[in-house]
Amino acid sequence: MKFILGALLAFTCFFAAACDSSDDDFKLETRPLAVRDAAPKLHATSDQRFRDAKPSPVTATTPDGWLELPASQFRLLNYRFGESGLGEVWVSLSSGSLLENVNRWLGQFELDPLTAEQLAKLPTMTVAEHNASWVEASGNYASGMGQEPKPGYSLAGVVVPLPEQILTVKMVGPSAEVEKAMPALRNYLSTVRVIP
Amino acid sequence: MDSSEISPSPERAKTQPSIGKKIFDFLSGFHLATALLLILGLLTWLATLEQIDQGLYATLNKYFNWKSVIIVPEIKGKMVPLPLLSGYWVGAILLVNLILGGVIRIRKGWKHAGNLISHFGIIFMLIAGGVAHHFEQRGNMAIGEGEASNAAEDYFEFVVEVSEIKEGKPESIQVIRGNYLTDLNDGKSRTFPLGDVPFQIEIGGYLKNAVPVSEVERAPDRKQPIADGYYLMEKKGEVNAENNMAACYVRIVQKDGSKSPLFILAGASFHPFTYVQDGRTFTLDMRKRLWPMPFTLRLDEFTADFHPGTMKPEKFVSEVTRIENQHEAKVTIQMNEPMRYEGLTFFQASYGPPGAGPGQSMYSVFEVVKNPADQWPKYSLYIVAFGMAVTFLTKLGLYLNSSIHKSRHVP
Repeated sequence: MKFILGALLAFTCFFAAACDSSDDDFKLETRPLAVRDAAPKLHATSDQRFRDAKPSPVTATTPDGWLELPASQFRLLNYRFGESGLGEVWVSLSSGSLLENVNRWLGQFELDPLTAEQLAKLPTMTVAEHNASWVEASGNYASGMGQEPKPGYSLAGVVVPLPEQILTVKMVGPSAEVEKAMPALRNYLSTVRVIP
Repeated sequence: MDSSEISPSPERAKTQPSIGKKIFDFLSGFHLATALLLILGLLTWLATLEQIDQGLYATLNKYFNWKSVIIVPEIKGKMVPLPLLSGYWVGAILLVNLILGGVIRIRKGWKHAGNLISHFGIIFMLIAGGVAHHFEQRGNMAIGEGEASNAAEDYFEFVVEVSEIKEGKPESIQVIRGNYLTDLNDGKSRTFPLGDVPFQIEIGGYLKNAVPVSEVERAPDRKQPIADGYYLMEKKGEVNAENNMAACYVRIVQKDGSKSPLFILAGASFHPFTYVQDGRTFTLDMRKRLWPMPFTLRLDEFTADFHPGTMKPEKFVSEVTRIENQHEAKVTIQMNEPMRYEGLTFFQASYGPPGAGPGQSMYSVFEVVKNPADQWPKYSLYIVAFGMAVTFLTKLGLYLNSSIHKSRHVP
């Protein structure tokens, strides 16, 4: 019996030693400076703290009338256009295949996905010295980010397969404004460059 | 002679074993040991399958963490209806079984000394596992050629650090460890005192993996609080758990109870949050926990040999200098030849930048392990091997002695 009690006691001690501490047991720690504790950037704004500060690997010339916005985690180049201020254009680098990206865009307008044969019939053009597929769509635009679908919207843009990634230039906005901005978009596409 | 003249033969009174004896017999039994070892094997196999989808760290926590008592395996997203005792508790019961059965109950005597020694060795190994589970720390240290470092970065634990800045540099760094943060979600928050810092901080809304997103680009979809135009977008936990980026919402709390507007601290941020009070400047940041080393390591040269004609590395070798109290020692660290010093072990883990090839500037990445029981499994194997050797030699000696004895008596 002594042995059993001894074993149970050892067991209980082992278990108790691993118990989590409660709120009352908060212990503030300190640590010495490390070599990597470089002089921090003080008074950084939220934009500076959370946006990628690296220079964009893609450049282009901003058309007249487009408002250039700061880049973000998902948008290397970012613009607003149109009188309503709702029109958006952005340039991204993403993964996946040409077909997947095209179908993702079409899916945001609740359009049927394309087959490989249908994809091959899309108009093409040269963007950043690569062959790009031109995509257009109209209808209810659901960006899929928890927002309500927006009726009367259009999309126009290109999906460009690069050696290791997919470059996309996407214009979305009220249909009338997208129609009006189409010439500016085509001019813009001719200025897109990928920095090696 | 009738039956009355026959004295009744004394019968041994049959006694029922006590409950304590029954428990002892069960806990010390061979059957329990066998069952536990089978369950351990099953757990290891199922965990190996599950970690393909769930990631190694999450699976180890599920199957072998002490907080996990009963686990239900999940393979390829489908639950396997087989609840099992978790590996930690199987090991704990096996430890009790070995102590009671393999040491206390086992037959004693010089003929059984080898068994006893081997059992002690296995007990030592189980204790080593328990010590490693509770006290081991793992991190990594990346150093470029010609550069030096004196701190390792934990793989998983995010902490909040508050530093006072003097002459542009941090002077003292207060650390709030991750175990005080991870439960601060679903409306729960906690206020932390900060020593001689003239304010406290209230932390809540902790997310294991999240990125700050501008509300202008992407509107919040779950009524997330917005701080200075940003909110935290929760992401699914990464399969490689070390890629998770924790984040939280914070307020400064004054002595009179008044609170500042909300701001965000995130592992994904590029710069800390700055706060000024009474002419004193402080930075607040969330980052992976740094462990300071008692010495500095300088990477003198890193060599990566590649298989001919490929980008696949064959061997990594790091020539480092360990600097401690102005004394320098040259050390080579390579695969299967770690550096062990002052309770720390440095393994050659990998290199970078990703995709770097011959001729390019690289950095070496060491996995740093702090485990008080680092060498115990090796010692336990020596003990077990010694015990088995004693058993073998004892049996051999007895057999030979018996054979000689028989041959002497052959007519």
